[in-house]
Amino acid sequence: MEQTLRRNPALRAWLLIAPAGLFLLIFFILPLFIVIIYGFLERGTYGGVVWQFTAENFSRVFDSLYFSTFLRSLYIAVLTTLFCILVGYPLAYFMTSRPPRQRNLLLLLLMIPFWTNFLIRTYAWLTLLRTNTGLINVTLMNLGIIKEPLPLFGNDFAIVLGLVYGWLPVAVLPMYASLDRLDRSLVEAARDLYASGGQVFRRVIWPLSLPGVVAGSMLVFIPSLGAFVTPAILGGGKSLMIGNVISNQFLAAHDWPFGSALSTLMMVIMLFATLLYFRSTALKAKEERA
Amino acid sequence: MPNTIAVELRDVVKAFGSVVAVDNLSLSIPDGEFFSLLGPSGCGKTTTLRMIAGFEMPTSGEIDIAGEAQGYRPAHRRPVNTVFQHYALFPHMTVYDNVAFGLQMQKVDKSAIARRVAESLDLVQLNGMDKRRPKQLSGGQQQRVALARALINRPKVLLLDEPLGALDLKLRKEMQVELKTLQQEVGITFIYVTHDQEEALTMSDRIAVMDQGRVQQLGVPEDIYERPVSRFVADFIGETNFLHCMVMQTAPRGEVELAGGIRVPVSWIREGISPGSQALLSLRPEKINLFELSDTYPTGPDSAVVHGHVERLVYVGTDTHHTIKLDNGATVIARVQNFHVEEEPWEIGEEVIVQWDAAHARVFRE
Ligand SMILES: Nc1ncnc2c1ncn2[C@@H]1O[C@H](COP(=O)(O)OP(=O)(O)OP(=O)(O)O)[C@@H](O)[C@H]1O
Ligand SMILES: [Mg+2]
Repeated sequence: MEQTLRRNPALRAWLLIAPAGLFLLIFFILPLFIVIIYGFLERGTYGGVVWQFTAENFSRVFDSLYFSTFLRSLYIAVLTTLFCILVGYPLAYFMTSRPPRQRNLLLLLLMIPFWTNFLIRTYAWLTLLRTNTGLINVTLMNLGIIKEPLPLFGNDFAIVLGLVYGWLPVAVLPMYASLDRLDRSLVEAARDLYASGGQVFRRVIWPLSLPGVVAGSMLVFIPSLGAFVTPAILGGGKSLMIGNVISNQFLAAHDWPFGSALSTLMMVIMLFATLLYFRSTALKAKEERA
Repeated sequence: MPNTIAVELRDVVKAFGSVVAVDNLSLSIPDGEFFSLLGPSGCGKTTTLRMIAGFEMPTSGEIDIAGEAQGYRPAHRRPVNTVFQHYALFPHMTVYDNVAFGLQMQKVDKSAIARRVAESLDLVQLNGMDKRRPKQLSGGQQQRVALARALINRPKVLLLDEPLGALDLKLRKEMQVELKTLQQEVGITFIYVTHDQEEALTMSDRIAVMDQGRVQQLGVPEDIYERPVSRFVADFIGETNFLHCMVMQTAPRGEVELAGGIRVPVSWIREGISPGSQALLSLRPEKINLFELSDTYPTGPDSAVVHGHVERLVYVGTDTHHTIKLDNGATVIARVQNFHVEEEPWEIGEEVIVQWDAAHARVFRE
């Protein structure tokens, strides 16, 4: 046995990935196929499916109701991604300009929110934002700054705020990594060649940190598009994003096939987004090599 | 315009917290000169260069470029360009865009840029490489792009921080010649940082030897090598023998006493060393002549003669290094050029007469 293993490095490699491979097969690939197949079946009365082929679930996806929800989810995800970059990039830049000791401290601070459950943190926002009893509105009204409560809750603003808050650290990390890798002498070289601060940023810092920005965007965009906890809590209980529609199909409407069809469509869209990302980075790498 | 000053430093100090990187440096570098800053690691060469470029501001003192005080003027407003040690080429731009960068920032019009980029690439022999990226070039080619990128701006002064440090020996030698030729061609003042003494000696018009943030000696290469003024310079530049001695007299002619009571004449004794004090005699290995007992050798008031025995021979191709144990217990190394291949004149343990001229012996503080 040992002899065979020693002589056959390929077999050895296969044995090494077997546990991980088996795990992925049973708990990831198989369920994925179940979801896709369920999308083509008819619904059972109390959940579950009837083994009868139909494409109707997928055509229903394009019903105006669901489709507009989907477009709104897309809009919220794009907005969230944009704000995460807008806030996260300067933060990442600031962090890389600190001495190493402070940097580690800042990284730690960035990670601290993850020590608390996401659900609890989202409820914390609820107590801040609620229209009549939220801390912000109550304080502002008691101080006499505003007469009517501000619409901070139960709308897109609250959802985007909650999502930006949740995913900001994830956006910062890859941007921080790519800015940290950036050779400072390139900045000095640009300066030396008469570039002003703005020109250095546009011509050198931004293009060289772009892979980090793209990676950060992906890491925020994908979970934001499928989010359902944040809209469920901060969206004021109405089902506001496609993630909520999907969870409702399984938990409330007992329409598993339609939920599966929606999920499958989401996966396809995210797959495209990811492919686009890989293509853009692969293209860059190729350009640099070519 | 001869004798106009390209760069002048007056009492420049740079401290990083408690570390004084540059200590009261004053330099005056005329237009068109190839000026080198030479010194061991950490002596403040890079810091000096970065202050001229405007990447660091002096703690005190003043820097003038082309007769203009620079004050706190930022790097992008100074009429100097830098060639960085690791080139710092922009990896996401083509060779063309790298070289054109400075002109683009100065808003020179496109057709003029195209013409000047072509000229610059021509100057450094990189025609036809303009569409490549830095990663697709060899180290030597990257070096040339860095040069072209700086020279295209026709700066008053070009600052180079160990530009050949990353190249292998052979390419380095080639680039040394090329750089020097290029400098003469364009007539721009070069301030060149290196810790390679041979590089400094072969390329420079003048050299400032630095140690611990101060200039130890400033002069033409021959001065630095043949007439070092301190133990540090003699030791750092080339190889040298140091012999302990006591100064007997400084005028009208110098004389010192080596161990064992041997008196030898010397041509130069560092100012301020008075008769009776302990000192160090420095002597380059190639300035020592070896004679057999039966030979006739130079005598007279300007000739130093000491007896010894051959202890070790190291053949290094052009020369053979002879380690000689002097009769007074000291050891010297003599480099003798190998004129004759067929004979091996010295044997280990053989008695030998060690002779040198007073002109080559210099005396420093210990
Ligand atoms: N940014 C800085 N902060 C603190 N100390 C510094 C800084 N830059 C340089 N120093 C210190 O100043 C001294 C001179 O440094 P410098 O880089 O000028 O040396 P150098 O002569 O260029 O050496 P090398 O040949 O190794 O490049 C060193 O002791 C160095 O540690
Ligand atoms: Mg240096």
